[in-house]
Amino acid sequence: MIRRLLQGIVVIFFVSIATFGILQLAPGSPIDVMVGEAQVTQEQIALIEAKWGLDKPWYVQYFRWMGNMLKGDFGQSIVRTGVPVSTMLRDAASVTIRLNLIALVISTAIAVPVGIIAAVKRNSLFDYVASIGSTIGIALPSFWISLMLIILFSLKLGWLPASGSQSWKNYIMPVMVLALQETALVARLARGSTLEILRQDFVTTARSKGLMERVVVSRHVVRNAMLPVVTVIGLRLAFLMSGTIIVETIFAWPGVGRLFIDSIFRLDYQVIQAIVLLSSIIVVVMNILTDLAYAYIDPRIRVR
Amino acid sequence: MLDSMSRISGIMNLVQPVTRRQFLKRATAIGVSVPAFASLLAACGGDDDDEPTPVPPTPTQGSVPTPGPSGGATPTSAPEPTATTAAAATPTSGGGAAPTATTAAPAPTATPAGEQPVMGGVLVTQGHQEIASLHPDDAGPYVHYVIVRNIHEPLVDLDIDYAFIPVLAASYEAAEDALSYTFTIHDGITFHDGEPLTSADIKYNFDWYRDPANAAVLATDYANVADVVIEDELTVTVKMSAIDAAFLANVTGLLIVPEHIHSVTGKDNYSPQATGTGPFKLKEWKAAEYTTLSKYVDYWQGEPYLDEFREDIIPEGSVRAVRLETGEADNSVWPLQAQDNLRFINELSDQFDVNRAPGTAVNHFPLNNEKPALADKVVRQAMLYATDRDSLINDLEKGLSVKAHSGYSPAVQFYYNDDVKKYDYDPEMAKKLLDDAGYVPGSDGIREKDGVRLSFTCTVITGDQRRRPEAEVVQQNLLAVGIDMQIQEAPVATILEQLMAGEMDASLFNWTYGTSEPDCRSVFRSDGARNFSHYKNPVMDELVDAGVATIVPEERQQIYKDIQALTAEDAIFLYVQFWEDIQIWNKRIKGRPAQANNPAAVYPLIWTFWKDES
Repeated sequence: MIRRLLQGIVVIFFVSIATFGILQLAPGSPIDVMVGEAQVTQEQIALIEAKWGLDKPWYVQYFRWMGNMLKGDFGQSIVRTGVPVSTMLRDAASVTIRLNLIALVISTAIAVPVGIIAAVKRNSLFDYVASIGSTIGIALPSFWISLMLIILFSLKLGWLPASGSQSWKNYIMPVMVLALQETALVARLARGSTLEILRQDFVTTARSKGLMERVVVSRHVVRNAMLPVVTVIGLRLAFLMSGTIIVETIFAWPGVGRLFIDSIFRLDYQVIQAIVLLSSIIVVVMNILTDLAYAYIDPRIRVR
Repeated sequence: MLDSMSRISGIMNLVQPVTRRQFLKRATAIGVSVPAFASLLAACGGDDDDEPTPVPPTPTQGSVPTPGPSGGATPTSAPEPTATTAAAATPTSGGGAAPTATTAAPAPTATPAGEQPVMGGVLVTQGHQEIASLHPDDAGPYVHYVIVRNIHEPLVDLDIDYAFIPVLAASYEAAEDALSYTFTIHDGITFHDGEPLTSADIKYNFDWYRDPANAAVLATDYANVADVVIEDELTVTVKMSAIDAAFLANVTGLLIVPEHIHSVTGKDNYSPQATGTGPFKLKEWKAAEYTTLSKYVDYWQGEPYLDEFREDIIPEGSVRAVRLETGEADNSVWPLQAQDNLRFINELSDQFDVNRAPGTAVNHFPLNNEKPALADKVVRQAMLYATDRDSLINDLEKGLSVKAHSGYSPAVQFYYNDDVKKYDYDPEMAKKLLDDAGYVPGSDGIREKDGVRLSFTCTVITGDQRRRPEAEVVQQNLLAVGIDMQIQEAPVATILEQLMAGEMDASLFNWTYGTSEPDCRSVFRSDGARNFSHYKNPVMDELVDAGVATIVPEERQQIYKDIQALTAEDAIFLYVQFWEDIQIWNKRIKGRPAQANNPAAVYPLIWTFWKDES
């Protein structure tokens, strides 16, 4: 356990230093973007760079940033002034997490039973419909679904606002889009792994003991079949922070995904680094938690 | 996983220029930078790929005649007559025929006379990317500008026709030698916190930008300011170290912040408490979501009709269009996609007004005048004759574009010269010119003379879906008269660099060769940093230098008209068109100007608009 944690810390350190290095290598500077077409002399650019400490060698910048970070100070964005990066992140994260958690809960609640039933009643009408539905759900690009929903519910029917995050009505369309893909993915996975388990010897044994099919499925199959599903859900949780950029963009939700992309295009170093660092921490933590969940569901797996 | 996919398309969706308003000066790089990603955008059903470059907003203030809300009861403190001494020495008439006068005739509005203004309501406009800062030093991006300019005001501004008008300044005048400017502000102006605006605030603003310690983005605009002297409570004199023809244009970007707040916050902590003298004050700033302003009841020009002015941030162009149509928004600062624009113009005209104005960046093929195939003026003239620009505008741009006759846009009426040599589509004329000059078709139909083959390569921006077809049309046009133009692609940065280094023959992008501040030294001077066409002519050098050696508008006007005539005569580059800036308004917003050549100048007038909810 301790070893896993230490490994995680090393990973996070390398991720942060790699991000920093890549940003240094990227062409252009945030000051170029900030200045844009304003008529600015080279001296003035140098002044602005000095103000933000961008004139220092990269390792000085890195350790200064790391030092502040360890003290819990995420610094100031070069572009969005007057608001600390930590506040920007907190605001954006709350939006993204709210949206994704709702979608995740809804989709899991639908997908897992659908997947299991489809597997148990293999080749039934239900199975066909579920399979086709989930294939379509995965195949349809989310920007297309989003725009179609907006055209239908906002423009044609006038039932829902096209964008924003102020009222519960604003949640319906983005959650639908997110949950659709999520459901499709998880349902397929649940069906596949259930099918696999159904073929296992212990299931045959359970059946031959004379257990009712319902008991076989609920007690023996589901539990085993859920392992890969839990992995995927865990990973999805880890990605909550990085957000769902298309949905955030189309429905104009000010989440982490948009913040991240905006920051990349403005080369807003402080924000990019903070997001990457937090994301890598979350991925590491979620991996550890997923392993723990494994151990809980399947006693065969133990962290030694 | 799904995420990696969505992340990539997300990137594509969001690639939009962070446009910085350049204060009426030179080059707009945006015209070049947008479409670099066009194909990617289109590939994922994308966003603002093809829109006209939002013209760098040129600020304005109302020459607004509309009376206060109560229809006359509230006295309008319309800008006082500008005290001008010698008309010749005053830059006041800078932008247009309307000289120093002041109580200009009421601008025509889109609202039929007799309609009574209504109090209340919220006007909603839409931007495409977050309003990252409310500091005037960061007011470059169009989406920032509309908010920042409604909170703050400049001393002088440009109106909807690019003419200078006084705002905070009741009067301003330039000294005979153009080495000092005196500004007298209106009496009784207050900031949103009730503190009075004084000349000390004006001095503070100039000095803040000039102080190197503040590392201001716009510091260069005031590089020629030597000192700012407070004459009295309401008057300051700005002493110049050198004649600077662009000074007044730069001052339109000096949006006044209060010394008593700004000296405490500095730039970096200013945004959350942005305070100005403008008609609306900051209510809520959620950078990536929306920014709401509420009316400043004690606004010095009269109480605004609207209760609130809000800008929602909607990154996706088609969603902005839907929100306009459903009435969730009244306007969009950032343009829509071309097909949506057409729909609003053609099908939804009973609900919406569309303000169309040619942009100021010319869509053109810079031609390296030093390459043998392009060195002969006759060849370049023939190219202009050979290019069917009218069809190109009708077919490719669906008519939402205006033909160019030089690098200067007809939108800036004061400087625009319509009396230049014109090259209407005439392939026979092109052939005749080339024949007369001794260029004869070779075996492959491409003309030659003394071993010089009329063949060159045009490098377009990688993935530029809007201009690549244009290059292909021109390619066919030129081939028809015996000129061979090959097309290749390269990224923007490469093009700008190699074009200047003389390593490329030609390219195709939009660039500003002069707007309401017409200085064009960087593009036309022999040693200009942006002389893409490598045009070298001592006459032109003299003209562009003369243009900035005087601040007298009429003298400058003549010089820049001569420059346009020379541009056309020498056919310096292949100028094609000015893309139109399309501004859509829901008709329920009343009191708007009927037509604005300077679309950005509409936003500072919002306080005179009202919303008819009926």
